[in-house]
Amino acid sequence: MPKNMSFAILEAIQGEMRRDKLLTLLYEYQSPSAGWSGRSINLQAEFGLPRVRFCAIDEHWIVGAALGMSMSGVPAIAHIPSMTTFIPFELMFNHAGKLRHMTGGQAAFPMVLWADMAGRSPAQGGQHADAGLESCYARLTGLKVVVPSNPYDAKGLMISAIRDVDPVVFCHYGMPASGPEVPDEPYTVPIGEPAVRSEGKDITLVAYAPQTTEVANAVELLKKDGISAEFIDPRTLAPLEGVMPTIIDSVKKTGRLLTSDEGSYTFGNCAEIVARVAEAVPGARFKRLAFPDAPAPGAPEMLSYMRVRAADIVAAAKKMLRA
Amino acid sequence: MLKHNLRLTDQQETTGVSRRTFIKGLGLIGGGSVLLSPGAGRAKAAQGASSAAGLSPEQLTAMYADMLKIRLWESKVKDLILKGGFRGVAHLYVGQEAIAVGVCRALRPDDYIASNHRGHGHLIAKGGDMRLMLAEITHKATGYCKGYGGSLHITDVSLGILGMNGVVGAAHLFGAGAAYGIRVKGTDQVAVSFGGDGSLQNSFFTSGANAAAAWKLPWIAIIENNGYQIWVRAKDVYAITDLAHRADGFGIEGRIVDGNDVLAVYNAAKYAVEKARKGGGPTVIECKTYRWYDHYGAGGSRIGVDGAFGLGYRSDQELRDWMAKDPIRRFRDFLVAEKVLTTDRADAIRDEVAKAVEDAVAFAAAQPVPKPEDGLRNVFAQGSVPLHTT
Repeated sequence: MPKNMSFAILEAIQGEMRRDKLLTLLYEYQSPSAGWSGRSINLQAEFGLPRVRFCAIDEHWIVGAALGMSMSGVPAIAHIPSMTTFIPFELMFNHAGKLRHMTGGQAAFPMVLWADMAGRSPAQGGQHADAGLESCYARLTGLKVVVPSNPYDAKGLMISAIRDVDPVVFCHYGMPASGPEVPDEPYTVPIGEPAVRSEGKDITLVAYAPQTTEVANAVELLKKDGISAEFIDPRTLAPLEGVMPTIIDSVKKTGRLLTSDEGSYTFGNCAEIVARVAEAVPGARFKRLAFPDAPAPGAPEMLSYMRVRAADIVAAAKKMLRA
Repeated sequence: MLKHNLRLTDQQETTGVSRRTFIKGLGLIGGGSVLLSPGAGRAKAAQGASSAAGLSPEQLTAMYADMLKIRLWESKVKDLILKGGFRGVAHLYVGQEAIAVGVCRALRPDDYIASNHRGHGHLIAKGGDMRLMLAEITHKATGYCKGYGGSLHITDVSLGILGMNGVVGAAHLFGAGAAYGIRVKGTDQVAVSFGGDGSLQNSFFTSGANAAAAWKLPWIAIIENNGYQIWVRAKDVYAITDLAHRADGFGIEGRIVDGNDVLAVYNAAKYAVEKARKGGGPTVIECKTYRWYDHYGAGGSRIGVDGAFGLGYRSDQELRDWMAKDPIRRFRDFLVAEKVLTTDRADAIRDEVAKAVEDAVAFAAAQPVPKPEDGLRNVFAQGSVPLHTT
């Protein structure tokens, strides 16, 4: 069993805080501690105040402080819980994402917005079961947005995010402990580099956390029916320039692109990916699966009906192949 | 060492209600500040006030010159706007010069300021170059921000200027955030944020103030209460007159000063800065003042004439009353009375500053415009973003 997501992320931060004596973590909810296989990480105990700061319920402070700190040479990680994703939106939109450009390259914000993302959890209700909000951050200029799908990518992308001199939104969905083993040592997963999860020739599937679990299951189901699906996880949603060539090349090969989104249908990230492929690959066929344009209901019966499941992906893929 | 007029200080320190004292203080100079929050700050306040006496004649003269730089540079910008064809916008600071100069004189070069949309004065007082500022607000390639930012966003990180900022209130978060960074670095720097009477209402001030108070961060919030936020009267949107009272709820010491009295501002700022350097935590200083021009631009003004008249939301008489309390004239009269300057020397300084402003205008006019394709650069540290017009 690989390290879990939380342990992998904290291991990344721990290593970077040991390396950079100014790197500071501000948080309000999830304690920066985790255990795995008899080992534990506790950043509060290891680094203490002021570098690990338990804050009031105030996302404007947590993110605004990270801006003021990072602009004055103190790199910072601002960790906010999932139901508050948009409270600091203005700060990321008008400040973190614009001020480097507006100051002619003078202002730098070496900060990470570590945004917990709820995902479509049952028995929570709309505010605590949202997904797809990363597309709103990815819409903004000057921000990098990453969405890791497994603990290996989470650790490598968090280290890349911390070392990046530009502001990075690190969207943290609680993904299962799957994928490659996570080394104890620091390593990076480059921002802007997609992962080909499985190679195929009949159809291209694109999804990122948390739909990757459903898509991975769909790939196996399709294989049993003799369909060879290529599954690409973008991992980075902004900027997309580094991600698109892999997806475009895949669709040139398969002629079909099926995307699957845990977020709501309209203006989702996958819509942007489909649009870019459509411009680049004449004659290709497209299909988008997504959550409806509705809040997530608390009742599991409704929620389950509305989410995209592996069987839906299989059915949509087969329909595209028949056409 | 000079002995300043400190007659007001004792009165103010013992007066519980600020408004009356503030009004009594207008027209005089060298006063102290009114302490709003009871507690440990009271005894120290008197020391803070008297420390204005520590300013040398050279420092006082430099303060006078800095105030004139702001006045004459901005008046020139106003005239250029009125002439037409000006490549930019401006939110003029004229009338409030004592605040920027009084505060920044109390700072070290390595201290931080976070400024707002009406921030030209803050930048000049912190050491900003008038030539590069004029090049920037006319969007030239060699301006402070290479023409990307313009008036609202001039920044010089090397001078500790964390930028002017077009979103009201954001400066308070940048300042308090920088103050937390100072705590992490373990230095004795301080961070100052400037905001108007309109900067207290969205949550940015609240967030900065609460954290700064809770952890005694080296943060000083300067509230320049010029009576208007955009075009709405402060008294129409606040139930309180003295905005420094807001500090009380956070457990921050609040002070009120005559914002047209540069030494009163300096006294209050110096006290707050020394307190912050010693770990004594934040201070909110409300400076009562008035803006001589409109919210932005040069409407209601004329070339070569001070003040904007005939604006629908305020009376000309109100403006004239405040122009009679001109912070620069008051300071000049004080310096002459105290024999720091002769009238001839004061006039000569004004001429020197006026010449420097003309040099800045000539410099900016001669600067190249940016290359169009540079709009694609500086989005990220590396590379350019793609163009999508073809």
